[in-house]
Amino acid sequence: MKPVLLLLIMMMSMAAELWAQTTLRIRGSDTLGAKLVPQLAEAFKKQGHKVSFDIAAEGSSTTFTNLASGTAEIGMSSRKVKADERALIRSKGALLHEYELAWDMICIVINKNNPINDLSKKQILQIFAGDIKDWSEVGGTPGPVSIYTRNTSSGTYRDFIAMAMKGREYGAQSQKMAGNEQIASEVGSNMNGIGYVGLAYAQSKDIKIITIGGAEPKVSKMKQYPYARPTYFYTCGEPTGTTKEFIDFCLSGAGEAIVAKVGFIPLTLAK
Amino acid sequence: MEERLAPLERQSLGCMLLKKKKLNALGFDTQKFIRFFFASNASVTIIVLVLIMLMLLREGAGFLKTYKYELETYRHAGLEFCDIVDRPLAQHQQLTSRLRRALGASLDTISQHARNRRDAYLNMKRQIEEESSLQREALSVALEQTPSAGDKIIEPLRTQLAIAGVKSAMSLTVRSFFSLDEADKIRAELSQLSPETKDIPAFLKQLNDHFSTSDKAAKKSFATLVKATEIFEEAPETLQEILIEIKEHVLQTKTAANEFNTLKSGRLKLLEAAENTQNPVEKADLLKEAAATQAMPVDFHQRIKLVTSRADELAEKVHQYITAIQKAAANLPTRGSPAHAIALLDEVHHELPLHVQEMQTAADEIKTWSPDKPVSFLTVIGAFFFGSNWITNSSWQDSFGFVPLLTGSLIISLIAIVIATPISLMAAIYSNQFASEREKELIKPVIEFIQAIPSIVLGFIGISVLGDLIKDVSEVTWLQWIPGFPIQERLNMFNAGCLLALMAIPTMFSLSEDALNNVPEAYVDASDALGATKLQTVFRVIVPSAFSGMAAAVLLGIGRVIGETMVVLLVAGNRIAIPDFSSGAGVVFQPAHTLTGIIAQELGEVSRGSTHWQALFMVGIVLFCISLIINWCARTFVRRFEQFKA
Repeated sequence: MKPVLLLLIMMMSMAAELWAQTTLRIRGSDTLGAKLVPQLAEAFKKQGHKVSFDIAAEGSSTTFTNLASGTAEIGMSSRKVKADERALIRSKGALLHEYELAWDMICIVINKNNPINDLSKKQILQIFAGDIKDWSEVGGTPGPVSIYTRNTSSGTYRDFIAMAMKGREYGAQSQKMAGNEQIASEVGSNMNGIGYVGLAYAQSKDIKIITIGGAEPKVSKMKQYPYARPTYFYTCGEPTGTTKEFIDFCLSGAGEAIVAKVGFIPLTLAK
Repeated sequence: MEERLAPLERQSLGCMLLKKKKLNALGFDTQKFIRFFFASNASVTIIVLVLIMLMLLREGAGFLKTYKYELETYRHAGLEFCDIVDRPLAQHQQLTSRLRRALGASLDTISQHARNRRDAYLNMKRQIEEESSLQREALSVALEQTPSAGDKIIEPLRTQLAIAGVKSAMSLTVRSFFSLDEADKIRAELSQLSPETKDIPAFLKQLNDHFSTSDKAAKKSFATLVKATEIFEEAPETLQEILIEIKEHVLQTKTAANEFNTLKSGRLKLLEAAENTQNPVEKADLLKEAAATQAMPVDFHQRIKLVTSRADELAEKVHQYITAIQKAAANLPTRGSPAHAIALLDEVHHELPLHVQEMQTAADEIKTWSPDKPVSFLTVIGAFFFGSNWITNSSWQDSFGFVPLLTGSLIISLIAIVIATPISLMAAIYSNQFASEREKELIKPVIEFIQAIPSIVLGFIGISVLGDLIKDVSEVTWLQWIPGFPIQERLNMFNAGCLLALMAIPTMFSLSEDALNNVPEAYVDASDALGATKLQTVFRVIVPSAFSGMAAAVLLGIGRVIGETMVVLLVAGNRIAIPDFSSGAGVVFQPAHTLTGIIAQELGEVSRGSTHWQALFMVGIVLFCISLIINWCARTFVRRFEQFKA
């Protein structure tokens, strides 16, 4: 009987402790939510803050639907808010606050065995729009190009359209993958694959990064690289309490160290 | 005798429940209570089903209206005007792609060797750089430091890099493009790579030069093809410039219209909140905010004039474009290139007249196009049920065409059923008729256990095991006669179909085994009495009389397969396009997206009540209808079977 009672008391005390903690619900981008934000959250907790995190990363579009319905305290997004999304949140009576978190680069990756090492911006556009269908058109080994893109809720999906596609759509033959990791593994297993991933995911097995018109996606060469973009935190109204503390922590020196470790570019370096 | 016994037993069971009237003191009539309890359970399921149907209909019903509105904006803002020219112009890219491939194949006859050598060198260089990346990074960091780090720090880093370079250069396998001497030269050069020397290694330079000279020579000998391809590629440029200008203009119109609408609905919400609140301060605040979101509606007529006024100019450019590509095509050589390239050029010649004709029609069409033509509900329904594009979150125009998803779902189900039907029916016949008791005890639980595997686990197996297995098998030389081999994508419809077959087998197996069990013993006895062998009895008597039950089992298997989500989302490859049937049966190795997968993938991201949201519910309704029809068919089959038995 005694151990059961002890267990009960322990569980209750743990539950009480959990009760005392505030929960930060963070929703949005997969690029940020898969690696960076969880590590920031972990470090934030290690500093002794009594807070639990609830992070779900299903794409940047979910940021604004969640903020609007009040199911998230912080939204993470790899693209800027759209006008209609701002209007949606405004119509709920709140103002959107925006914080630049870090910079990211979209790397174009191909299979390691593909002889191509460099493509021009125009070629990238033509490949992803489906105009170039065969690797021999850009001087590679003949074989049909397989395009892997993110799914439509991803901020990377839209950002890439904005930065690389000049308003055109992806070719109908593109395959929509649920995450960066999935793109990396498909490109790694398909000799004729091409896709894009965030800088933090570019070191996966069997893929290689190609340069764009000679420009490498490297922190020191961010200015020349065409596909670099800022990532954001969004809150509904002025953040207070733990939310504010967490955002301040992310933008502090300790936060930036984690940003750099995960493979993003800290703001101080980007500027 | 037996017939009379059965109802008696049933009655006694009922009596057992009814006789215990102990709780009557509380005013409960136990009999009524039990009755009510069972009846309420049954009615809850029915009510839930009706509620689900109503909910689906409520969310989906708005789709026609909102999509109609979207298509109207598409027309009024002038996006349709641009698409009249833009859609057929996409064919130009297809033709250019063929020309570029033909050109590449032609040039390869001369410059391929030089290019292979250069690419192989570059790949080796990359490999070495990667292997020694740690030392390289350390050295470059030290070099970039200001004030510069002393030689004391840099020198050991240099040596470390040199050691690493030599080590990986020695283990390098040099491909057969190079002679032994050259291989040694490459190793020597690559072992000395350092971030300090900016010069290109000498041998690489030589390879580069060699490639560019042979490339030049190749381009010279195929000069007419090079020239014609260039002209062909550049032909639509002026046309596209104008088109882009118009596109920007109409897109602004559309964005303004959409923004006006969101602000308007937001303002209405604010006003409503102001109406309901009692607090005067808050009311004033809300009213003020509502006033701040006041915006001007978009004047479509004024803005579209600017577009339609350019129709003649655009048509003129289209005609110029047509003459340009026709001229370029006439100059394409028909000889001299390798057969593969000639075939591609022939395709271009073959398809050009159609393209020209389409462009011609487009040029005529834009002159008579009017933004005021009404959009009928039939058009909207057609755009959904027969549309071949599912484009969402687009910066131009979303379209919700359902055909690519349906074809994906149907093909995957077909594959699954083709695989699962023979396996499960055979297994059922065997375990029911031929297997010994011990075998039965093994077969039934094992097959039924498959049902217990969570579908996400199966999906995981599909990604990590089955996909690679199919791909490896497809690369085996003596299997190349199979259409579609070697396959390109490991995530494809076949992969998904195999896994779904595995999921359908338990359902189909159990149901068809039941059907076999239900065959009256008298049939078997009669067959035996006539002197039939066991095999004859099974295949001439038992299977035919259980046929309708087995058909129902297959149908329910289809129902199970078409509604499955997780596996197809993970494994089918998620390409939203109607599969290319030109490759015959090889089509099964292409990726596709499905009705269920699209709902799972996109429902999380959309805002409630938007067109996209409603479109997904429409897909849900269609899925629901498909399942309903399949179940209805299965029931009809079973009923026939019961009649037959009586």
